[in-house]
Amino acid sequence: MIVQLLINGIIAGCIYALVAYGFALIYNTTRTFHFAHGAVYTFSVYLFYTISAWGVPAWVVYLLTLAATALLGMTIDEVIYRPLVRRKSSLLIRLLSSLGAYIIIINLILMIYGNEMKVLNAKLQPTHKFGNVILSEVQLITVAACVLIFVALVLLLRMTHLGKTVRAMRDDPELVSALGMNPQNVRRLVFALGSTLAGVAAILKGLDVGADPNAGMVAFLSGTVAVIIAGVGVFNGVILGALLVGILQSFAVWKFSAQWQDTVTFLLLILFLLLRPEGIFGRRRRVEEIAA
Amino acid sequence: MTYALHVLNMISIYAILALSLNLLVGYTGLLSLSHAAFYGIGAYICSLLMMKLSFPFLPAMLLSIVGAVAISFLISLPSLRLRGDYFVLASLGFQIIVFSVLYNCVELTQGPFGISDIPRPSVFGLTLTSAGSYLAFSVVVAAVCGGLLYLIGQSPFGRVLKAIREDEIAAESLGKRVSQFKVIAFAIAAGFAAVAGTVFAGYLRYIDPTSFTLVESIFILSIIIIGGTGNVTGPLTGTALMLLLPEALSFLGIPDNIAPNLRQVIYGVLIILIMRYRPQGLMGEYRYQ
Repeated sequence: MIVQLLINGIIAGCIYALVAYGFALIYNTTRTFHFAHGAVYTFSVYLFYTISAWGVPAWVVYLLTLAATALLGMTIDEVIYRPLVRRKSSLLIRLLSSLGAYIIIINLILMIYGNEMKVLNAKLQPTHKFGNVILSEVQLITVAACVLIFVALVLLLRMTHLGKTVRAMRDDPELVSALGMNPQNVRRLVFALGSTLAGVAAILKGLDVGADPNAGMVAFLSGTVAVIIAGVGVFNGVILGALLVGILQSFAVWKFSAQWQDTVTFLLLILFLLLRPEGIFGRRRRVEEIAA
Repeated sequence: MTYALHVLNMISIYAILALSLNLLVGYTGLLSLSHAAFYGIGAYICSLLMMKLSFPFLPAMLLSIVGAVAISFLISLPSLRLRGDYFVLASLGFQIIVFSVLYNCVELTQGPFGISDIPRPSVFGLTLTSAGSYLAFSVVVAAVCGGLLYLIGQSPFGRVLKAIREDEIAAESLGKRVSQFKVIAFAIAAGFAAVAGTVFAGYLRYIDPTSFTLVESIFILSIIIIGGTGNVTGPLTGTALMLLLPEALSFLGIPDNIAPNLRQVIYGVLIILIMRYRPQGLMGEYRYQ
């Protein structure tokens, strides 16, 4: 029982980790509280639903969905955030504009698809039994895909020039341009990569439970909590933060009921903000740095 | 006619919400996504006191203000040290927690079924039976709240709040206890939001948690972002605009099944455009730099 709960929590945590890693890539480098990340997630799962109905091979469906998702993320940056950056608008203006973008995208989706859940994976899922633990095939694929992606991300950030630039951008965006690199290219990269990660999460979760217009916000909020408890400026630690959130939610569902899941998530957030605002792996920052 | 009265009643209620949130956003510079939570807390405390303990309306209203102010300390004290997007996130978390308490504590709040048959409010011996007489009451309450909030904004206390908004560290270095001022501003805003909640509960005589969601908090925030903050005219302009916009849309003959979503899309576009081209809002004073 405990093991099953733990595994369920880890699977949920993997999905959150994808969303959270995408958010961290964007937030840590561009300092944009990208609310619309949740809308990008929802867009992805509905697009996947539509393209699946075209009757093209599966890999084309995945490729097209993820490409369009990456494009949506880059477009939001180009159309909404870039002009604000040029005007040197404050963090809160960018946050509110992002909220505006979220509202627009979600309501367009609702206008097209309506409010009901859509089923993405109609066939009965085969389940596998490992001792007392039961897992569906989609859940197994989720864990495998996430492990691969996380290894790739850690290596990308550690080993490649690209990763080095992303980390440099986190530390000091102005210095990046002073060193002759184009920060705009880094922005494009993090928005494309971050949105793709949200898209992967959306498809994996969608195959398991279907498409739901609110799913993006739920995943986004849990992902954000994971980012904050891991610490601002942290990339890889976010995965651990997300697993922690997933496992905690899984036990909350068992101990109380599914309805208290959000409450537990945000109590965890408030507890962290209260006792350790710099997060598990973050470094303590001065007031002036936080205010920026 | 009844419909016009309904719209005017809602405008009075939202005017209180917008003006009180303005004290936080426009004066103190704290972006809060938890205003609907206090609105709901006011509505629920008032209704429960009237239903379960058969309190009259006005004492119930007073106690719900006290309750909302007390609960506001729960969120303002821990989030004191938080600034910028951290504060926004903490207030968002609080909003979600309050919603799940209203939704899930079925024994007390009747959860998703809501509370129905709230007694008609009677004020100084007069029972407000018609929408017209209720409108008179809600306009008076809104005017009193608006007047008080205006005076608070003009007072030395209000000037300190503006100083905090402009430069927190400078305000502190001039000997103002920034955190204390923030806590008080938060409590005042929560108290007035609770008043709006009681007026709402007394007007509809039915409340359920869906009126007090995160979406509602975002809506109240967008009213003052679009109308403008930092003075009284901005929030009032925003309230009138955002509550009359749906009526204007229904004149255009938009089909009913997409009208609410289209309205939201328009709000979203307005927020983005205002943030880019007129950060102080249509009539506001304070621009986020």
